[in-house]
Amino acid sequence: MTTIDPTQVPELAPKKKGMPWETYEHGHHWRTAEDEFDAAKLGMWLFLSTEVLLFAGMFVAYAVLRMKHPEAFINGSAYLDVFYGGLNTVVLLLSSWTVAMAVRCAQLNHQRWLKINLIITLICAVAFFAIKITFEYIPKLSAGKAPGRFFSYPYAHDPHEPLWWAVYYVSTGIHALHVIIGAGLITWVLVRSYMGKYGPKNYAMVETAGLYWHLVDLIWIFLFPLLYLVH
Amino acid sequence: MTTIDRPTDLPHDGGPGGHHDEGSYLTPKGGFWYTVGQWATTVDHKKIGVMYLTAVLAMFFLGGVAALLVRLELMEPTRVLTQTAADGTVQTVVTGQLGLWSDPDNAAVGYNGYNRAFTLHGAIMVFMFIVPSIPASLGNFFLPIMLGAKDVAFPRLNLLSWYIYVFGSIFGIVSILMGGVDTGWTFYTPYSTSTDAEHWRVFFMVLAAFILGFSSILTGLNFIVTVHKLRAPGMGWFDMPLFIWAVYSTSIIQVLATPVIGITLLLLMFERTMGIGIFDPGLGGDPVLYQHFFWFYSHPVVYVMILPGFGIISEMLSVHARKHIFGYRAIAFSSIGIAAVSFLVWGHHMFTSMGELAATLFSALTFLVAIPTAIKIFNWIATLYKGSIALNTPMLYTLFFLFTFTIGGLTGLPLGALATDLHLHDSYFVVAHFHYVMMGGTVIAFIGGIHHWWPKMFGRMYDEKWGIIGCIIVFIGFNLTFFTQFMLGTQGMPRRYASYVDEFQIWHQISTIGSWILALGLLIHLFNFLYSLVNGRVAPPNPWGGLTLEWEAESPPIEHNFHREPIARHGPYDFETVVPPHCDPEEYPLPELPEGWKAHEKPIG
Amino acid sequence: MIDLFKAITMSPLTLAQDEGPAPVKTSREFQENQEAFGGIWENFFFGIGGTTEETQKVDALFLMIWWIGVFFFILLMGLMIYWAFFKYRRQPGKAAEPSPSHNTPLELFWTIVPSSMLIVIFLFGWFGYMDRQVARSDALRLDVSGWKWGWEITYPGGQQSPWNTRIDRVTLPDGSVSEQTQDVKIFVLPEDTEIDLRMLSQDVIHSFWLPDFRVKMDLYPNRYTGYQFRTPTIPAGENYVDHWIFCAEYCGDYHSEMAGVFRIVSRADYEDWITNEAGGDKPPLVLGEIVYKGKCAICHSIDGGQNTGPTWLNGYGYPAEFSDGSTLEARDDNYIRESILYPAAKISAGYPNQMPSFDGQLSEAQLAGVIEYYKAQSDKYVPPDPEGAEGEEGADGEGEAEAEGGEAEPAPEMPPPAEDD
Repeated sequence: MTTIDPTQVPELAPKKKGMPWETYEHGHHWRTAEDEFDAAKLGMWLFLSTEVLLFAGMFVAYAVLRMKHPEAFINGSAYLDVFYGGLNTVVLLLSSWTVAMAVRCAQLNHQRWLKINLIITLICAVAFFAIKITFEYIPKLSAGKAPGRFFSYPYAHDPHEPLWWAVYYVSTGIHALHVIIGAGLITWVLVRSYMGKYGPKNYAMVETAGLYWHLVDLIWIFLFPLLYLVH
Repeated sequence: MTTIDRPTDLPHDGGPGGHHDEGSYLTPKGGFWYTVGQWATTVDHKKIGVMYLTAVLAMFFLGGVAALLVRLELMEPTRVLTQTAADGTVQTVVTGQLGLWSDPDNAAVGYNGYNRAFTLHGAIMVFMFIVPSIPASLGNFFLPIMLGAKDVAFPRLNLLSWYIYVFGSIFGIVSILMGGVDTGWTFYTPYSTSTDAEHWRVFFMVLAAFILGFSSILTGLNFIVTVHKLRAPGMGWFDMPLFIWAVYSTSIIQVLATPVIGITLLLLMFERTMGIGIFDPGLGGDPVLYQHFFWFYSHPVVYVMILPGFGIISEMLSVHARKHIFGYRAIAFSSIGIAAVSFLVWGHHMFTSMGELAATLFSALTFLVAIPTAIKIFNWIATLYKGSIALNTPMLYTLFFLFTFTIGGLTGLPLGALATDLHLHDSYFVVAHFHYVMMGGTVIAFIGGIHHWWPKMFGRMYDEKWGIIGCIIVFIGFNLTFFTQFMLGTQGMPRRYASYVDEFQIWHQISTIGSWILALGLLIHLFNFLYSLVNGRVAPPNPWGGLTLEWEAESPPIEHNFHREPIARHGPYDFETVVPPHCDPEEYPLPELPEGWKAHEKPIG
Repeated sequence: MIDLFKAITMSPLTLAQDEGPAPVKTSREFQENQEAFGGIWENFFFGIGGTTEETQKVDALFLMIWWIGVFFFILLMGLMIYWAFFKYRRQPGKAAEPSPSHNTPLELFWTIVPSSMLIVIFLFGWFGYMDRQVARSDALRLDVSGWKWGWEITYPGGQQSPWNTRIDRVTLPDGSVSEQTQDVKIFVLPEDTEIDLRMLSQDVIHSFWLPDFRVKMDLYPNRYTGYQFRTPTIPAGENYVDHWIFCAEYCGDYHSEMAGVFRIVSRADYEDWITNEAGGDKPPLVLGEIVYKGKCAICHSIDGGQNTGPTWLNGYGYPAEFSDGSTLEARDDNYIRESILYPAAKISAGYPNQMPSFDGQLSEAQLAGVIEYYKAQSDKYVPPDPEGAEGEEGADGEGEAEAEGGEAEPAPEMPPPAEDD
């Protein structure tokens, strides 16, 4: 039989002092903070699996429609500019590296570099979006290369090119939506890192946001060759 | 069984992770509006479970009304009646349609009304009732308690998922108020992309299903993490109650299958608004691709519906027969096995639209999924052997389930065999089959489960006599309604028909009368529950003598479930070696203890 | 009601009555000939037992599964009811006896035995299915077309049935007539013949179900599907037997009346019907005119008038200009064919790209007819030389040979398009 350790009873334990990440208290239904962080990570991995399956649908649609109408997809792919696609790939890879570094900085309590890395990630996200909109979506849409019933490009070589554009816009559009959500998460983490919430004992949020951002990157790594490179 | 050496004589309001006596979770902590606010912002899994229960039962009622309308329309076939009056004038009228939506001059109006009714019935029952029914209500309430946890892993996510459910359902209701949709719950293209083209209501219904998917994913994700991370000390994977195994398997399916319907419905919405053509054969798209996508979700989701039902049956069977589950591991593994195989058999919904090779493969895989299901049935029946079987409402519902689900399972065989499926596909045989599985399986297990856990959830006993009467009436009504539909199907009655040729009428009439009996039985249960809330006998913590952890909590449980963190000292079904405390010997006599049997430690809490 | 049909059965053996087809008389009304159509269980489940070898196989498979199911159901439910309600019902003061928590040999037994039964059921199901998929060389090829809401069948010679009826027509005691709200078509088929269906939908998905032949398959736009079945021999003393056709894939308002009737008659009667009632073969120009009026006239005039699409007057043999600036010296057969099947490939200058593709929606015979009709609108059209008339007679003869179960497929039949998988 043991005696009660007062530090184990929330009501009796003295308030800790220090940075917010040092005084972090885990949710009352968890036994330890480690359990809580593990759960957060497991939850995010599960969520990422749902995201992969979401895009898997688009990849299957791509494969099936490409098999039905290869000419339309070859023509369509030729309209895309590999340079901007490649540039965006580089931008995302860079951001993936910086977000990984941010997690590392949080673990090592490098508060300054944590913020710098997060800011670079955020800039990359904005850059990706800007390149996508300015050099890809706007010129194509204004030329009439739009999906479905908005397609009005007069020089199409194949009657099924609207289908190609449907696949292109839906898959890159959903990906762009994920970029926005990811950027929102990174911003949230950045704001909280200014509040000193993250450090060696509490970096779960940085890590899960980072995981999400890696997924955004990963999806693009698949989309880029499928849409731009396969001829 | 693992045991952990831990102190057991700590004070109730102290100890590691202990809590002061704060009253049951139902006890209002303030005035009316304060309490409403508390419920609306609660992260307590029990309150969320009760809110889900209310919401899904409301949807069940709505879907049930639609079903009754469908059956009423089918009472007699639609006919044009040409009458010649005495003065020689010829008059034609449409007869045999439901007055609610008929037009005596135009049969199409009545047909359209019928089509909207059956679509409503399907969409509401599938997306808003049966998918969230057991996991989100009973699962939410009991999964953490049975694990000995204070809450699910992500309580705020849990609340969010309830609000997403409500938000999605609102879009469904808006779509109904705008006039409803006539696509069928399957939304097959190109019909769903071309019907009602100038209206937004189909869009809203699809949007509703899309949003509800998020709710489903978040709940599933939450449960998986909870099972992994929040099991009570001493509870290994094979010490978990089978209900947990079932909900765990369900959650895996929810997480992995729902995103696919997400992208499918998203494409469908783009199809309707922008005509992107991915599923439109007129634009070079592929409607069969839609069906593959749809059933890749919707077949596994059949197991999302039925697996939690299996879990409830395992619980009720062992508790009310006071007998350990026969072949615990076989049942646990068959849940996981069903979850795994469920992803490989979607093609059996499409035998009439796919090539020979694919049909052959999918047929073979379909028979594979029959094996774990059969194993479960055998194990359940074997559990009854040498039991001490109390014929109360939960047990009667368990036997009811075994009866109807066996029929449902066996009638799946001719649907899985290719030659017979070519005849039975899209006929009333299919309708009867999946109602025997979904209604006779899931809904019956759900109703039984509500009876089983009612004392725990609300701290009141329901009236046993009326429970049994209701159960018997539901049994008669159910079988009258749906067994006749097997005959209709084999004889050639296609599904989703508003009218039919004369030779089918007698079966339809029996079925419709059965549906009224069924509705009566369900209403009896409803009133029995409502009466129990007001005037029911106060329930003891463990009225059935169950051994799972939820019976160690108060009835109804306190805010944090347990006075202190429970420890799994025995397996969930060790009835032969453990006699639980808190039994009500007067109402449910407990067996004498044979010599040498150890009694349970002194009551907790 | 049954009496009404009996009265008709007694009437003289004529297929057609004065004003049209004889009333519908389905196989279900031959219940008195049960021995001819299978046993009591077949009739109980299917309304009428299988009338051909392959439907009898399906019935046998269904009944095999049924009896296996009944056996297991009675075994399991018997045990359950005996144990739960009698043997082990809870009694005050009586404890549950100890029992094993599992038994591996028993569990293996009840895993392996049902599994092997499932394998047998699968194999029987697969054999029966493959019977439907393999085309016989002597089959009568029918082109089935479904739309909202009706069926049309094109016979090998291009004929179509002229017969409509209302099913379930009943005269009530007060003299008023009750019947289904929509006309359905009656399609006549020869008895004891292999039928090969090639099906195409014109709008949404439909499903062509023949309950009496235990088979259905979905129809898709722009994609051929199909199956085979054999028509039964009609019973002695009857001159026709009808079978329902139902649409089994939900398709909208009149889904429940998207029915049809297959009327099985003797081969001689079929020959007679196909020549005298269904109108025989049509020359391409006539066929083309029918298609033009049904599908093309909405957008294309033949008198030079302005419309959504270019006029057909003086199109053939004249030069064409396209929206991308290219030109064609003279519109020829290949250009016309391409414009019908792939309208977006070349777009006439001054017109938007909005013509739908008719790829897969027209038979080769119809396509040839439309092309002929298009050419006929031009003053550069040269009608086929008079020998062509003899050729057409030859074609007639070919059609007859085929209807008798001959080996020849009609010449214009082409394999399905590449995307049909």
